Formats: sequence, structure tokens, C-alpha cells
Amino acid sequence: MSTLRAMPYLSEIQHRRIVDHGGALVGKLVDVAVIPKEQFPAVQWAVVGGPDGERTLRWSDLEASGRQYRLIEGGGGAAELPPEALRLARDLLDKQIVDTHGAKVVRVNDLQLEDTGGQLRLVGADVGLRGLLRRVGGEQVAERAAGIVGRKLPRGIIPWHLVEPLEAAQAKVRLTVPHQKLALLHPADIADIVEEMSADERRAVFEQLDVETAAETLGEIEPEMQVSIFDDLDEERAADILDEMDPDEAVDLLQDLSAERREELIELMEQEEGDDVAELLAYPEDSAGGIMTTDFVALPRELTAGQAIERLRELQPDPSAAYYLYVVDAEGRLDGNVSLRDLVVARPETALAEIMNPNVLRVEADTDKEEVAALIAKYDLLALPIVDARRVLLGTVTVDDVVELMLPRGWKKRSLRSIAR
Amino acid sequence: MEEEVTPVHRPMTRRRTLPSRVTVAAFLAVLGPGVITGFAGNEAGGVTTYTSVGAEFGYAMLWLLLVASTGLAIVQEMCVRMGVTTGQGLSDLIREKFGVRWTMVAMLTLLVANGSNVVAEYAGIAASLELLGIPRIVSVPIAGVLIWSLVVFFSYRIVERTLFILVLVFIAYPISAVILKPQWSAVLGGFVPSVPQGDLALVFALALVGTTITPYLLFYIQASVVDKGVDRESFRYARMDVYLGAAIAGIFAFFIIVVAGTVLFPAGIHVDTADAAAQALVPLAGVSAGLLFGMGLCGASLLGAVVMPLSTSYAICEAFGWESGISKNFREAPVFMSLFTLLLVLGGVIVLIPGISLVPLIIAAQIANGLLLPVILVFIMKLANDREIMGADVNGRAGRILGWSVAAGAGALSVAYIVVSFGGIGS
Repeated sequence: MSTLRAMPYLSEIQHRRIVDHGGALVGKLVDVAVIPKEQFPAVQWAVVGGPDGERTLRWSDLEASGRQYRLIEGGGGAAELPPEALRLARDLLDKQIVDTHGAKVVRVNDLQLEDTGGQLRLVGADVGLRGLLRRVGGEQVAERAAGIVGRKLPRGIIPWHLVEPLEAAQAKVRLTVPHQKLALLHPADIADIVEEMSADERRAVFEQLDVETAAETLGEIEPEMQVSIFDDLDEERAADILDEMDPDEAVDLLQDLSAERREELIELMEQEEGDDVAELLAYPEDSAGGIMTTDFVALPRELTAGQAIERLRELQPDPSAAYYLYVVDAEGRLDGNVSLRDLVVARPETALAEIMNPNVLRVEADTDKEEVAALIAKYDLLALPIVDARRVLLGTVTVDDVVELMLPRGWKKRSLRSIAR
Repeated sequence: MEEEVTPVHRPMTRRRTLPSRVTVAAFLAVLGPGVITGFAGNEAGGVTTYTSVGAEFGYAMLWLLLVASTGLAIVQEMCVRMGVTTGQGLSDLIREKFGVRWTMVAMLTLLVANGSNVVAEYAGIAASLELLGIPRIVSVPIAGVLIWSLVVFFSYRIVERTLFILVLVFIAYPISAVILKPQWSAVLGGFVPSVPQGDLALVFALALVGTTITPYLLFYIQASVVDKGVDRESFRYARMDVYLGAAIAGIFAFFIIVVAGTVLFPAGIHVDTADAAAQALVPLAGVSAGLLFGMGLCGASLLGAVVMPLSTSYAICEAFGWESGISKNFREAPVFMSLFTLLLVLGGVIVLIPGISLVPLIIAAQIANGLLLPVILVFIMKLANDREIMGADVNGRAGRILGWSVAAGAGALSVAYIVVSFGGIGS
């Protein structure tokens, strides 16, 4: 039996006997505890279960001896777990964690420890089949069985520094810097993770992410869930997030809320963003007006190319708002468009009216959104301007707003979680 | 079931901002998952079992129905409370509290119970369409493909609403009961506990309990609470929802038993085919009885067949931390998709075994549910009694006594059934 193997698993050392220096039984190892600050935290305490309940010992007071642990001479003084300590079996085993590398929520089947220079450290979470089998004592049998058919059992270990524990409703441990690793992910990945969480965990995440990340993440989440997240957030926070969202996404979300809540939130938004949103809300959900954004760049036709570039520097538009730059007359009517490329290669004193493309495809705000998608697909557009009956530019629909309409139905992600569990 | 988007959720939030609408909101809020499953949750198994019980024993088992429905209300309330307090589903909690081995026990139990339900749903579809002259060799494969595409291509909500309309056909039972003018004093007599004579009494008692308190329902109700993120404020509506749901389920079952007990029991008709079961509706619908019954049974079975394989796969994958989701493919979520497909295919194949009788198959599935119910109830009681998990919402004295009584009653029934069937006593 390998007793001092460099890489034991928690399930292997759990339940081992603890004896005192003389060899008398003290109890069984129930749990070990770490302070989750370092990259690979060191095991500092052992929780020992005896006939009269649990007691905590310092890990450094124990030494491995065969398949049991022996107290070193003079060791065994009572120790106390600090509140920020993480008990591996109680707080992590069988619980859900976020695999920040694979961007998904997984369940901990076992924990991998490593003995480096006499110090036992937590190095990874086993979320694979092996961990499950090990817990029921079937790892070796399964390994042999797999060997017979010439396969190997896959390992499913996530290195500890890529793991983020989830904060449950009644967590016994409050994480010191919650969701720090989560916040570093791409909003689309955060959205995938959040969709797998329970309502309480979701709320915790959205209360802690910075407003900008929260807004981008929310934009990636399916509509039904957006609504339920928003219903749980307090008004101030919700309004702050709405301010940061793209106006068209904010509108999609607001349309699904109750009328009272909607007005309440618009009231709390910044003046400018609130006005944009209120304006967009007037259009039916399925029309071009309903899906367009008011984030676009309109340049007066009198400007020269040089002035236009100067104007862009001031505006610093989002990348998606700069696909096309629109040229409008004094009344805001759409005269043409001009690409960034045209603007840059033109001589600075050339008037916009000269370099613009005057034949811009445009639709009115009451056009059906399916038709908008069809036009964008047919003419390979990145964005389509939306105008009113007088040709006044109201907004644009960009290709990312309609991508979903172009996908076959089954591709759209849907929430079926509650048929779940 | 995507409850976030149903009108159910919004009134709850509206209540926060507009207290004057409390009554309207409360009314709408109670139309939650509990009420929906109360109507439709009986699926193929419920109608068939209750009809059989009425046909075999008249009104004599009504008391057991009352006990079972009360039990359903008690246990479902615990599940809702657990969902609200912990924000976790039942399989989550079982895994986190009892570890891998016990989770395997619980999930295997759920798999067998729900698997037999899938078989029963297919049997219901086949039986109802045979009433209309469509042979099962045609109807079952078509149903399998239909269910698969409904799940993959359509919003669950639309499917649920559509099939729910079909299920409303069962309103024919309360109407029949009124038209039939049964001797209400005799009906009331059925509420006096008594053990009917005959070998079949134990079998049908177990099937009755198994179909009323389905293990699946308990997982489902807690999951929907967790998904909606019902908070403490709306908890009382969620609680009202399960009580009302249990009441509706009980009342429907009551009318089915009364109608079958009035029409089929005196005539000595045994329900071994769907056609015989449909005879209960002849006084109301005449020659259209078969059509009426077939529609309801078909809708209920389809609804169950859509939900059951999905629900099972989700529960199991969640407990073991495997990737799940219907928009994923076999490579991304291998276990989930395999389980889902396997249940759907295997269920259909079993129904197509040559010469198998459909109605006994449906009843057998309810017996399986009844037998396995105590296992799940023990898990639920252990969790709901655990102060560490439930905090201040832990089961009180009354809850503990009532809950354990339900578990003990279900357990006693299961043990008695096993002893009688395998010990050869009583035959």
C-alpha cells in the first residue's frame, strides 16, 4: 500500500485513524481545513471525530504512519478554526463550483491534494467519473474493466486556481473576495455559467459584478431569465445596469417587465439613457423599431472628412455603432452613409456629401423584424438604418441583433431547467 | 417548466409595488406549477388507476384517496419550503447531504419510477389511439418522434398549454357525476375507512397511492420553485398553490372514482382495456364516450411523455454534475442526451412487445411508483427535519409527525405488497 503517495485524494485520507504518540486511538479524520487565499492553499487543520464529538487539531501536529496518522510528541493541543477557513469535506465535497476555465458549473466528486515538501496542499477538484467511482470504491474495478476493452478512464480534474466556489443561500463560509475569478471571464461565458445557477446564486453574482460586466452579461442571458434576475435586484442597482446596457437590449428586457416596474426603473435611469429607452419602447416588439438601437453615428452632410474624423474622436462610439456612419441633413433626414475606410482614405477637406454613398438601403420603423433580418442577410449588411415616414433617421438594427432570427429554431437556447431536477 | 415567463411570476412582483392588487395577484399567483400538475399531473396513470379503482371497489376506496391527497399536500409543502429556504432542488440537496452512495440509491429509484412512468405514458397514447382505430405499431413510433421534436424544436410552454387544453376534456367526469345522480349517502360511506375484500385490494391501494403521490411530482415541484426563485414574500402563494393543486388533483380523482363506481362497478365491468374505461363516460357522451376519453387520455399521456424523460435526465445529471441541456448535442452532454433518448426509445419498445396489455401495464407502472415512493419520502423527511439545512424553516413537531406518518403508511403498503406477492400469502 502506498501510504505516502504524493497525490492523495480527500476521499482516501478521510476516515483514517488518528492515534496519539503512544499508539492509542484518538479518533478518525473527518475533515481537513484550509484558508483559501493562496493559489494552492495548504492544509492547516484536521477535524477529528471521536466518541465525544469533533475536535480540531493542527495539521502540523500529525505525521503519516502507514494507513493512519500519528500525533507528534507533545502535539494535539486544541486548535480553533478561524471563520474564513474552508472545510473541504463540509464546504466543497458534493457541492457545485464554477470551472472558470471551461466556463461551466460542475459538481465536486473529490478533492485532489498534493504533498510538496512535507506540506499537504489542495491542488484540484475532481469533477470526473473517476472521482465518483472512487467515492463508491469502484475506481480500480472500473479501471480494469476499461483496460480490458482497451480504454482509459478519463481524468476530470480542474486545477484549484481555476475553481471558484459558489455562494449558496445559507453558505457557512462567506467568500472573502467572491466571484473575483468569475468577473475576469468573457460576459458570454459568465452568462453560460449564470444560467446554470439557482436563483439565489444568480442574485449573488449580479449584486457583486461591476455594473459594466453585469450589463454585458445580462445582454447575453436568455430573456426569461433576465426578467427573473431583474425582479430580484433592487431598483437602484437594476437602473444602473440598464444605463450600461445597449438601449435595444435594455428595451427588450423592459418590455418583459410589468408596466409598473418598467416605469419605476426608467424613472431611476440617467436622463439620457432613460429618454432613449422610453422612445424605443413606443415601437411594437416585433417591428424594426422594437429591435433597433439608438446608438448610431449621424454626421451632418456639411462636414468635411477631416471634421468627421474629429467628431468620431469626440464621440468614441462602440465598435458596433461604427459599422456605418450615417450622413444626415439639417432635419436629421438620412442622405447616405460612409464607411470608416472611405473617411480615412479621403482627403481631409473633401465634403461628406461627395464621398458618401447616397443609395442607402433603409426601412421604416414599422417593418416586421423578420423582414429586417432577411434584408440584412440578403445584402450582407452589418447594419440597416431605420427611418420614419419623413426619412428621419431613428436608429439602426445591427447584424448581431438579428443573428438569432436567422438561426434554425432548434438552435436557440431555451431554458428547460425547471422540468429539471 | 419555464415558469419565469408565464403570467404566474409577474403578479408576484407587482404585489410588491402595488399592494392594492393583492387579491388579484394572489389569485393569479396560485395558478402555479402545483395547480397545473394538479390538473394534468395525473397523466395516463391517474385516470386509468382511478377508473379501475372505481370499477373494482365502487366507492370503497375513497377514504384512501383522501388520505393520499392529504399526504401529497403535506409532502409537497415540505418540498416547496425546502426549495425556498435552500434555493436548491431535491437532487442537489440529496447529493450535498448524503454523498455519492445515497445519491445513487435515490437516483436509481427515481430512474426506475420515472422510467415506468414513461412506459405508462406511451401505453396511454397507444391505448387512446387504439380507441380511434389506430394500431399501436403505428401510433407509438409516431408519438416517439413527435415527442422528441416537440422537446427539441418547440418552447415547452407552448407544448404544455396546447396539451393542457386536451386534458381539460376530463372535466367530463365532474359533469357526469352530477348527471348520474349517484346515491351521495353511499358515496359518503366510502370515506369511512374499510378494507375491501379481494386479492386485488392491496394491489389497487398501492397503485392509488403511487399515482397520487408520484415521486416525480415531488422533484418537479421543488425544481420549479427553485427556478422561479420564489422568495420569502411569495412563499405563502407557493404554499397555497401546492395545497390548491393537491385539492384539485384529489377532487378530480374523486369524481373519476365516483363515475366509475356508479357506472362500471354495478355492471361488473373490469377495466382491462381503454374501451372499458371509456364506458364510464357513456351516460354523458353516449357513442362519443370513446372519443372523449381518448382525447383526454392522449393529451395527458403526451404531456407526461414530454416532461418525464426530460425531468429525469435533468435530475440525474444535476445530482452527478454532468452537463445537461436540450440545446446541447451528444458530444457536449453525453449522459444527458443518452438518458433522454434511452428513456424515450425504451419506453416505446416495451409498449410494442407483442401481445402486451396496455391497461395492466399502466397500472403496473403506478405500482412501481408506489413501491419506490417510501424511499424518496425518507430522503425528503431527513432533509426537511435537518435544522442545519432548513434553519428556522425546519419541520415542526406536527410536520415531523405528519410527514413520517405518510412515509410509514406508504412504507407499510409497499412491504405488505411485497410480502403478499412474493410470500404467496393471501392467494
